[in-house]
Amino acid sequence: MWNGALKGMTEKLKRVVCDAGPIIHLDELDCLDLLGEIQEILLAESVWNEINHHRPLALPQSSLSLIRCPQKYPTGEQLCTMCRTFSLDSGEIGALAIMENNPTAVFFTDDTAARLVAEQMRFKVHGTIGILIRSIRQGQRKPEQVLNILKEIPLKSTLHIKSSLLKKVISKIENQFQL
Amino acid sequence: MKTVQTAVEVPEHLYKMAGVLVKEGWFRDEKDIFSEAIRRFLDSHRSELMEKYILDDVEWGLEGND
Repeated sequence: MWNGALKGMTEKLKRVVCDAGPIIHLDELDCLDLLGEIQEILLAESVWNEINHHRPLALPQSSLSLIRCPQKYPTGEQLCTMCRTFSLDSGEIGALAIMENNPTAVFFTDDTAARLVAEQMRFKVHGTIGILIRSIRQGQRKPEQVLNILKEIPLKSTLHIKSSLLKKVISKIENQFQL
Repeated sequence: MKTVQTAVEVPEHLYKMAGVLVKEGWFRDEKDIFSEAIRRFLDSHRSELMEKYILDDVEWGLEGND
Protein backbone atom coordinates (compact mmCIF):
# COMPACT_ATOMS: atom_id res chain seq x y z
CA MET A 1 0.00 0.00 0.00
CA TRP A 2 1.23 3.46 -0.93
CA ASN A 3 2.46 5.25 2.15
CA GLY A 4 3.53 8.43 0.48
CA ALA A 5 0.89 10.60 2.07
CA LEU A 6 1.87 14.23 1.94
CA LYS A 7 3.02 15.12 5.41
CA GLY A 8 1.02 17.73 7.22
CA MET A 9 -1.76 17.63 4.67
CA THR A 10 -3.61 14.48 5.65
CA GLU A 11 -6.63 14.63 7.83
CA LYS A 12 -9.51 12.25 8.25
CA LEU A 13 -12.96 13.51 7.42
CA LYS A 14 -15.28 13.09 10.35
CA ARG A 15 -18.72 13.56 8.91
CA VAL A 16 -19.77 13.51 5.28
CA VAL A 17 -23.20 13.77 3.71
CA CYS A 18 -23.25 11.95 0.40
CA ASP A 19 -25.43 12.25 -2.64
CA ALA A 20 -25.84 9.09 -4.72
CA GLY A 21 -23.49 10.15 -7.53
CA PRO A 22 -20.10 9.87 -5.79
CA ILE A 23 -20.91 6.47 -4.25
CA ILE A 24 -22.17 5.12 -7.58
CA HIS A 25 -19.20 6.52 -9.49
CA LEU A 26 -16.60 5.37 -6.96
CA ASP A 27 -18.16 1.91 -6.95
CA GLU A 28 -18.03 1.79 -10.75
CA LEU A 29 -14.33 2.60 -10.50
CA ASP A 30 -13.69 0.05 -7.71
CA CYS A 31 -12.75 2.91 -5.41
CA LEU A 32 -15.49 2.86 -2.80
CA ASP A 33 -12.85 2.01 -0.21
CA LEU A 34 -11.61 5.61 -0.45
CA LEU A 35 -14.55 6.58 1.75
CA GLY A 36 -13.47 4.03 4.36
CA GLU A 37 -11.58 6.54 6.48
CA ILE A 38 -14.66 8.72 7.04
CA GLN A 39 -16.13 8.32 10.49
CA GLU A 40 -19.75 8.94 9.51
CA ILE A 41 -21.31 8.94 6.06
CA LEU A 42 -24.87 10.19 6.25
CA LEU A 43 -27.25 9.07 3.50
CA ALA A 44 -30.79 10.29 3.02
CA GLU A 45 -33.35 7.54 2.51
CA SER A 46 -33.86 8.51 -1.14
CA VAL A 47 -30.10 8.50 -1.75
CA TRP A 48 -29.86 5.06 -0.18
CA ASN A 49 -32.62 3.82 -2.47
CA GLU A 50 -31.08 5.42 -5.56
CA ILE A 51 -27.72 3.76 -4.89
CA ASN A 52 -29.41 0.40 -4.30
CA HIS A 53 -31.29 0.80 -7.57
CA HIS A 54 -28.18 1.51 -9.66
CA ARG A 55 -25.54 -0.46 -7.73
CA PRO A 56 -27.38 -3.07 -5.66
CA LEU A 57 -24.19 -4.59 -4.26
CA ALA A 58 -22.41 -1.36 -3.39
CA LEU A 59 -23.91 -0.71 0.04
CA PRO A 60 -24.34 -4.29 1.33
CA GLN A 61 -20.76 -5.21 0.41
CA SER A 62 -19.12 -2.07 1.69
CA SER A 63 -17.53 -1.69 5.09
CA LEU A 64 -18.23 2.02 5.17
CA SER A 65 -19.60 3.75 8.24
CA LEU A 66 -22.95 4.46 6.65
CA ILE A 67 -25.82 6.04 8.52
CA ARG A 68 -29.24 5.84 6.88
CA CYS A 69 -31.22 8.99 7.69
CA PRO A 70 -34.99 9.46 7.39
CA GLN A 71 -36.02 11.49 4.35
CA LYS A 72 -36.59 15.12 5.29
CA TYR A 73 -37.17 18.40 3.50
CA PRO A 74 -35.08 21.46 4.36
CA THR A 75 -36.76 23.88 6.74
CA GLY A 76 -34.83 27.08 6.01
CA GLU A 77 -36.53 29.42 3.59
CA GLN A 78 -33.42 30.15 1.52
CA LEU A 79 -32.52 26.48 1.08
CA CYS A 80 -36.12 25.49 0.31
CA THR A 81 -36.38 28.20 -2.31
CA MET A 82 -33.13 27.19 -3.99
CA CYS A 83 -34.10 23.51 -4.01
CA ARG A 84 -37.29 24.45 -5.83
CA THR A 85 -35.63 26.97 -8.13
CA PHE A 86 -33.05 24.46 -9.31
CA SER A 87 -35.55 21.61 -9.42
CA LEU A 88 -33.32 19.34 -7.36
CA ASP A 89 -34.36 15.72 -7.11
CA SER A 90 -35.40 13.98 -3.91
CA GLY A 91 -31.92 12.60 -3.24
CA GLU A 92 -30.26 15.98 -3.50
CA ILE A 93 -32.97 17.62 -1.43
CA GLY A 94 -32.71 14.91 1.24
CA ALA A 95 -28.94 15.28 1.35
CA LEU A 96 -29.15 19.07 1.64
CA ALA A 97 -31.70 18.73 4.43
CA ILE A 98 -29.14 16.65 6.34
CA MET A 99 -26.48 19.28 5.60
CA GLU A 100 -28.79 21.92 6.99
CA ASN A 101 -28.62 20.14 10.35
CA ASN A 102 -24.91 19.32 9.98
CA PRO A 103 -23.44 22.47 8.42
CA THR A 104 -19.86 21.60 9.35
CA ALA A 105 -20.03 18.29 7.48
CA VAL A 106 -18.66 17.95 3.96
CA PHE A 107 -21.15 17.35 1.17
CA PHE A 108 -20.16 14.99 -1.64
CA THR A 109 -22.12 15.41 -4.88
CA ASP A 110 -21.44 15.28 -8.60
CA ASP A 111 -24.55 17.23 -9.51
CA THR A 112 -23.79 20.77 -10.63
CA ALA A 113 -27.12 22.22 -9.51
CA ALA A 114 -26.92 20.60 -6.07
CA ARG A 115 -23.37 21.87 -5.73
CA LEU A 116 -24.44 25.35 -6.74
CA VAL A 117 -27.08 25.35 -4.03
CA ALA A 118 -24.67 23.91 -1.45
CA GLU A 119 -22.05 26.56 -2.20
CA GLN A 120 -24.66 29.28 -1.89
CA MET A 121 -25.38 27.89 1.56
CA ARG A 122 -21.62 28.02 2.26
CA PHE A 123 -21.39 24.27 2.76
CA LYS A 124 -18.12 22.52 1.97
CA VAL A 125 -18.78 20.49 -1.14
CA HIS A 126 -16.71 18.19 -3.36
CA GLY A 127 -17.20 15.49 -5.94
CA THR A 128 -15.79 12.20 -7.21
CA ILE A 129 -12.78 13.74 -8.96
CA GLY A 130 -11.75 15.48 -5.74
CA ILE A 131 -12.14 12.29 -3.72
CA LEU A 132 -10.01 10.35 -6.19
CA ILE A 133 -7.21 12.91 -6.22
CA ARG A 134 -7.38 13.40 -2.46
CA SER A 135 -6.57 9.71 -2.09
CA ILE A 136 -2.98 10.52 -3.10
CA ARG A 137 -2.72 13.11 -0.33
CA GLN A 138 -4.23 10.63 2.10
CA GLY A 139 -1.81 7.87 1.12
CA GLN A 140 -4.63 5.64 -0.05
CA ARG A 141 -3.48 5.42 -3.68
CA LYS A 142 -0.26 6.08 -5.54
CA PRO A 143 -0.31 8.94 -8.06
CA GLU A 144 0.12 6.41 -10.89
CA GLN A 145 -2.91 4.47 -9.70
CA VAL A 146 -5.06 7.59 -9.60
CA LEU A 147 -3.88 8.49 -13.06
CA ASN A 148 -5.05 5.11 -14.35
CA ILE A 149 -8.39 5.46 -12.56
CA LEU A 150 -8.93 8.90 -14.12
CA LYS A 151 -8.18 7.46 -17.55
CA GLU A 152 -10.75 4.70 -16.96
CA ILE A 153 -13.57 7.12 -16.14
CA PRO A 154 -15.06 7.25 -19.66
CA LEU A 155 -14.95 3.45 -19.95
CA LYS A 156 -16.05 2.33 -16.50
CA SER A 157 -18.05 5.15 -15.02
CA THR A 158 -21.24 7.08 -15.66
CA LEU A 159 -19.64 10.28 -14.34
CA HIS A 160 -20.17 13.09 -16.83
CA ILE A 161 -16.96 14.89 -17.70
CA LYS A 162 -15.96 16.23 -21.09
CA SER A 163 -12.86 14.60 -22.53
CA SER A 164 -10.86 17.82 -22.90
CA LEU A 165 -11.37 18.62 -19.21
CA LEU A 166 -10.45 15.09 -18.17
CA LYS A 167 -7.24 15.42 -20.19
CA LYS A 168 -6.53 18.70 -18.39
CA VAL A 169 -7.03 17.02 -15.01
CA ILE A 170 -4.79 14.11 -15.99
CA SER A 171 -2.15 16.55 -17.19
CA LYS A 172 -2.26 18.39 -13.85
CA ILE A 173 -1.64 15.16 -11.96
CA GLU A 174 1.18 14.18 -14.31
CA ASN A 175 2.85 17.55 -13.81
CA GLN A 176 2.29 17.62 -10.07
CA PHE A 177 3.93 14.22 -9.56
CA GLN A 178 6.32 14.37 -12.52
CA LEU A 179 4.84 11.26 -14.12
CA MET B 1 -38.90 31.01 -31.39
CA LYS B 2 -37.56 28.41 -33.76
CA THR B 3 -38.16 24.90 -32.50
CA VAL B 4 -36.95 21.43 -33.42
CA GLN B 5 -38.71 18.13 -33.09
CA THR B 6 -37.12 15.36 -31.10
CA ALA B 7 -38.30 12.02 -29.82
CA VAL B 8 -37.26 11.03 -26.31
CA GLU B 9 -38.33 8.31 -23.92
CA VAL B 10 -39.22 9.45 -20.43
CA PRO B 11 -40.15 7.37 -17.40
CA GLU B 12 -43.89 6.76 -17.31
CA HIS B 13 -44.35 8.21 -13.84
CA LEU B 14 -42.74 11.51 -14.91
CA TYR B 15 -44.98 11.69 -17.94
CA LYS B 16 -48.01 11.06 -15.78
CA MET B 17 -46.95 13.77 -13.32
CA ALA B 18 -46.55 16.18 -16.22
CA GLY B 19 -50.01 15.19 -17.41
CA VAL B 20 -51.49 16.06 -14.04
CA LEU B 21 -50.01 19.58 -14.22
CA VAL B 22 -51.46 20.03 -17.69
CA LYS B 23 -54.84 18.73 -16.59
CA GLU B 24 -54.86 21.14 -13.67
CA GLY B 25 -54.18 24.00 -16.07
CA TRP B 26 -50.67 24.96 -14.92
CA PHE B 27 -49.20 24.33 -18.36
CA ARG B 28 -50.61 24.33 -21.88
CA ASP B 29 -49.28 20.87 -22.70
CA GLU B 30 -46.56 18.36 -21.81
CA LYS B 31 -44.20 19.92 -24.34
CA ASP B 32 -44.22 23.16 -22.33
CA ILE B 33 -43.22 21.25 -19.23
CA PHE B 34 -40.38 19.39 -20.86
CA SER B 35 -39.06 22.57 -22.49
CA GLU B 36 -39.14 24.35 -19.13
CA ALA B 37 -37.42 21.40 -17.43
CA ILE B 38 -34.64 21.35 -20.02
CA ARG B 39 -34.20 25.12 -19.80
CA ARG B 40 -33.83 24.92 -16.03
CA PHE B 41 -31.38 22.05 -16.28
CA LEU B 42 -29.25 23.91 -18.82
CA ASP B 43 -29.35 27.05 -16.65
CA SER B 44 -27.77 25.21 -13.76
CA HIS B 45 -25.42 23.00 -15.79
CA ARG B 46 -23.43 25.57 -17.71
CA SER B 47 -20.20 24.24 -19.11
CA GLU B 48 -17.99 26.81 -17.40
CA LEU B 49 -19.59 26.08 -14.03
CA MET B 50 -19.10 22.32 -14.37
CA GLU B 51 -15.49 22.91 -15.37
CA LYS B 52 -14.90 25.25 -12.43
CA TYR B 53 -16.22 22.68 -9.97
CA ILE B 54 -14.01 19.93 -11.38
CA LEU B 55 -10.93 22.15 -11.24
CA ASP B 56 -11.83 23.24 -7.69
CA ASP B 57 -11.95 19.55 -6.82
CA VAL B 58 -8.51 18.97 -8.30
CA GLU B 59 -7.11 21.75 -6.11
CA TRP B 60 -8.87 20.37 -3.03
CA GLY B 61 -7.70 16.89 -3.85
CA LEU B 62 -4.09 17.96 -4.19
CA GLU B 63 -3.75 20.59 -1.54
CA GLY B 64 -7.07 21.17 0.14
CA ASN B 65 -7.69 21.80 3.77
CA ASP B 66 -10.07 19.19 5.11
